Amino acid sequence: MKRMRTLAGISILALVLAACSSGSSDTAAEETAAALDDSNCAAAENFCVGLVTDIGKVDDKSFNQSAHEGAMAAAAEVGGFYKYIETTDTKDYAANMAQFTDKSYDVIVTVGFLMAEATVTAAKANPNTKFIGVDQFQGEEVANVTGLIFPEDQAGFGAGYLAGLMTKTNKIGSVLGLEIAPVQLFAKGFEAGAKKSNPNVSVTTVYHPPADNAFADPVWGAAEAKKQLAQGADIIFGAGGGTGNGALIEIAKAEGAGTSIFCIGVDTDQWFTVPEAQPCLITSAVKGLTEGTTDLVKKAFDGSIAGGNFVGSAGISDYHDFASVVPMDVQDKVAAEVAGLKDGSIKTGVTL
Amino acid sequence: MTLTETKMSNKIGFFVRNQSIVVPIVAIFVAFFLGGILIFLQGVNPLVAYRAIFSEAWFDSDGLLRTFQKTTPLVLAGLAVTVGLRIGLFNIGAQGQLISAALASALAGIYITNLPPILHVLVALFCGVIVGALWAAIAGVLKAYRGVHEVISTIMLNSIAIGILDYLVSNPFKEPDQALQRTKKIAETAILPNIGFIPFGFILALIICLLVSVMLNRTTAGFRFNTVGKNKFAATYAGINMKLMIVTGMLLSGGLAGLGGAIETLGITYRFEPAFNAGLGFDGITIALLARANPLATIPAAILVGTLRAGGASLQFETGIEPEIVDVLLAITLLLVSAPILAKFLFKGKAQKSANVTSGWGN
Repeated sequence: MKRMRTLAGISILALVLAACSSGSSDTAAEETAAALDDSNCAAAENFCVGLVTDIGKVDDKSFNQSAHEGAMAAAAEVGGFYKYIETTDTKDYAANMAQFTDKSYDVIVTVGFLMAEATVTAAKANPNTKFIGVDQFQGEEVANVTGLIFPEDQAGFGAGYLAGLMTKTNKIGSVLGLEIAPVQLFAKGFEAGAKKSNPNVSVTTVYHPPADNAFADPVWGAAEAKKQLAQGADIIFGAGGGTGNGALIEIAKAEGAGTSIFCIGVDTDQWFTVPEAQPCLITSAVKGLTEGTTDLVKKAFDGSIAGGNFVGSAGISDYHDFASVVPMDVQDKVAAEVAGLKDGSIKTGVTL
Repeated sequence: MTLTETKMSNKIGFFVRNQSIVVPIVAIFVAFFLGGILIFLQGVNPLVAYRAIFSEAWFDSDGLLRTFQKTTPLVLAGLAVTVGLRIGLFNIGAQGQLISAALASALAGIYITNLPPILHVLVALFCGVIVGALWAAIAGVLKAYRGVHEVISTIMLNSIAIGILDYLVSNPFKEPDQALQRTKKIAETAILPNIGFIPFGFILALIICLLVSVMLNRTTAGFRFNTVGKNKFAATYAGINMKLMIVTGMLLSGGLAGLGGAIETLGITYRFEPAFNAGLGFDGITIALLARANPLATIPAAILVGTLRAGGASLQFETGIEPEIVDVLLAITLLLVSAPILAKFLFKGKAQKSANVTSGWGN
């Protein structure tokens, strides 16, 4: 009898666990059910799109998620099949791409700067497959690799320009992911923008030390944000996947959040992706990840895709509830600045 | 008692005597069963899911190579923790020792030139072992001469190692004109090759495993190790030099973890990058506990972990199940093995205390 009870207990536990975990899995099931299957990707009429994430999940509310949504939307639009793999070990990039090339996928989207080298290697070994490298600047052109890059410095500049006008303490900061080109561009653009609108401002910049969790370390992000707040910063730019999100959420909990203390998100409009940050989230420095990925996948479908670099869009997102907090004249100045950046009349002056 | 009853109790007796083997195996089955329920509730046939893992990890030559590659550092990290446990030391610092060694062997592979191939590999491996051993010895010396508990010191040394390596790889040894913080590639002569789908490092790990087992079970040194581990007061009384034993124990433990890191660099990654060796040292603790501090048992335990990790991507590709289910399986297994629930359930009063792999806890 006693054993029976133990067994029953274990099964109930398992059911509870399962119930907790099944929430996130529903979406995955739907996605794979959307198209038929990938048993014959080699046939010309079947268009198969694969995506390999950097260390990170397709629901990271940031980088991987945007690219994932873009690729999925494009595949659905052209009637293709879409599937993804989430990398758990940086040593597996090649093997994960091979899952797709083995099945003759037409397009493989690889997400993130860290995969740049592995992507080029795989592309050279599979000349008939198109590779789209999100955030992967192509130094030398490989015919079947297209790097989707963004003028991050412009997005950072716009956000910094706003921060420079909004700060009361003349101290602002940024909490960043790994010190790699796209993140550096955001950070340097932010600083340049702030200095332009407010020459007296001082900017504290901190990068996550190199590690596999550089973009997934909310605890570190929160701690750094706290430090900068304690040092008197009143506007903080959180840029670095989960690490930056940790900073945003920490600032949202700080005293004065939304009245005297603000935060700025990154990559996507984080008003929607990190609702916990809404109390302080004045805007986000965005890049058109989803649109850019969709565009390129569709170009791969109609054959107009070319090797080299493809420059997507970048700017700042809507103010949402803070539209009433940010003074009208500030909004106008920022809008003029962003427009100037876009048409090229204003330069950020950022170099790496 | 009738003859059949005697036979029956003999059979049960066999299981009771070998419960250190029986319990982990039953634990794995229970874990796969519970994992199967989780997979089923996500709308996937568990058998299909498990087939996806194993067909990739075992029945595909690229997959098999990756399984062995992932298993190799796990065997050595597991051995490192095992050796520590046998002498009553809980070395949580395998990670720090492994990554310092990974960098050391990468530097030896890059900056020592003009050596013939085999010698260069040996020198680079040796550099890794030495650095790993010395890094662990810091904790050993602190314990022996200052009484600092090794759990505290090794875990702190992990963080210190990460900090120092970050600096080294971002500054003096950073690959020029490269945005990522990483070293250059090692010379061709320092590369540890694969023999078909078997990495040479894996064979090396098996040999080392055998040697450690013989050392612990068949030699005077091993006898001293076990005596110290079982009862340090009796060992002191018997005239064993405790200070020396603690330091040598940590040296050996760190050297084994270091070899794991060195093989990883020379056989797989060919350079050092901080993200490469994430979590290997901590997996070593899982493996040592699964293997119940038996050096030979680290091999199947490491193969299990390596298999699940190598097959994870295929699992997601074939079924859409997230690869983290693999960690759930391992967690359930470890929980059942280390907490005495399962042993008590199976063997009632005859259950061994499963936590007694070491006397080192808390002193």
